Amino acid sequence: MRYVDEFRDANLARTLSTQIAAVAEPGRHYKVMEVCGGHTHTIYKHGIEDHLPETIELVHGPGCPVCVIPMGRVDDGISIARRPGVIFTCFGDMMRVPGGDGSLLDAKAQGADVRFVYSPLDALKVARLNPEREVVFYAIGFETTAPSTALTLMRAKAEGLTNFSVMCNHVTIVPPLKALLESPDLRLDAFIGPGHVSTVIGCRPYEFIPADYGQPVVVAGFEPLDLLQAVYMIMLQLAEGRSEIENQYGRVVPWEGNLRALEVLQEVFELRPYFEWRGLGFISQSALKLSDAYRDFDAELRFDVPGVRVADPKACQCGEVLKGVIKPWECKVFGTACTPETPIGTCMVSSEGACAAYYNFGRFARSTARAGS
Amino acid sequence: MNHAWVGPPPHEGSCAVVDGCLTCGDVAVPVKVLEAAEPDAVCEDEHGRRGTVGVELVSPVRAGDRLLVHGGVAISRLERSA
Repeated sequence: MRYVDEFRDANLARTLSTQIAAVAEPGRHYKVMEVCGGHTHTIYKHGIEDHLPETIELVHGPGCPVCVIPMGRVDDGISIARRPGVIFTCFGDMMRVPGGDGSLLDAKAQGADVRFVYSPLDALKVARLNPEREVVFYAIGFETTAPSTALTLMRAKAEGLTNFSVMCNHVTIVPPLKALLESPDLRLDAFIGPGHVSTVIGCRPYEFIPADYGQPVVVAGFEPLDLLQAVYMIMLQLAEGRSEIENQYGRVVPWEGNLRALEVLQEVFELRPYFEWRGLGFISQSALKLSDAYRDFDAELRFDVPGVRVADPKACQCGEVLKGVIKPWECKVFGTACTPETPIGTCMVSSEGACAAYYNFGRFARSTARAGS
Repeated sequence: MNHAWVGPPPHEGSCAVVDGCLTCGDVAVPVKVLEAAEPDAVCEDEHGRRGTVGVELVSPVRAGDRLLVHGGVAISRLERSA
């Protein structure tokens, strides 16, 4: 298929692999963070690390939108879902995320009307078809996903729908990057920038990374050759002493982003003063809520939600995984108590989560993980 | 029609694990416009599955355009057909 096959060419991959090895400085250890969970997924699905010198370490970042949702927010969603007359809609992965008192799937099993949708527009259809019910969409995701929620709300408002609302958990990518760069736990050399977030926000928001921290950023696509080429571009920058933003994913990502999408986000959302990220704690101005013009559609205002904080399970080390401090298999419960079927932590729930990627694609056998723990 | 661009999920409450989470993560699906209309155009993915896509963010679109879709909404265009 066009845009897919040509980015999986094995010969080109071998050439890139050789070029990367050639520019790697002997004796130097490189730490490169792929911010996006989609990249993590590609890296392990296609065995990208096997084509890199051992001195290049790929560190998995916090870019899986499911993985960063704190347990308290899950509980808040479940409290709405359990209300009589409510149809609660969300993306599929979100249904299995454990809160402090079970998951949305558990709530569904206990009688709540929880339905998964592929798009917030589908949730809107549910609302149109069920005018006597309250339909709530549990919105998650970075700037890639927020425009679809925004458009849905604009349509709901234009249609005058009064039985539709959104519990907004949209987050923004730049604040956690700043938090990571300020973290004493982690010393990175460069970033592989998120491809589809950048489709919306463009490349300029990353300018602070080379300017203030002297680290290269290469925005990359999601095919194997995209990632290998991005690593090569990073290695060239480091070898030449440059730190710049480069756009490897130019076939999709405009430098300025999608200006219409940014306008839509501006109209429908505003920044929250702060938001709790799983594993990263509270980060100021890192998430979105509905703007005053759309407050009538805000599920958190329409329904009384508990808003309590729930501490992560002690055994779970998702926080360290999300910050790239430990590898998934170094977590004590990886592959034993915590599996995709019975996840303890969010990183094992979503297929974009680093733990699930490790688990599903066999980067480390469970026996190996146990032996290493 | 729904937005099941990734095909049927293996079971309720789970995305298509092998191909990644195409609905909620930073992954999007390339599609081709079959019937240009606004706000929803009929599009087809690489496997021949058809569905409607919100195209307000990339409009105007015409048949043959290739779009990148995330969460049922086109967020970018891949090219304009000749």
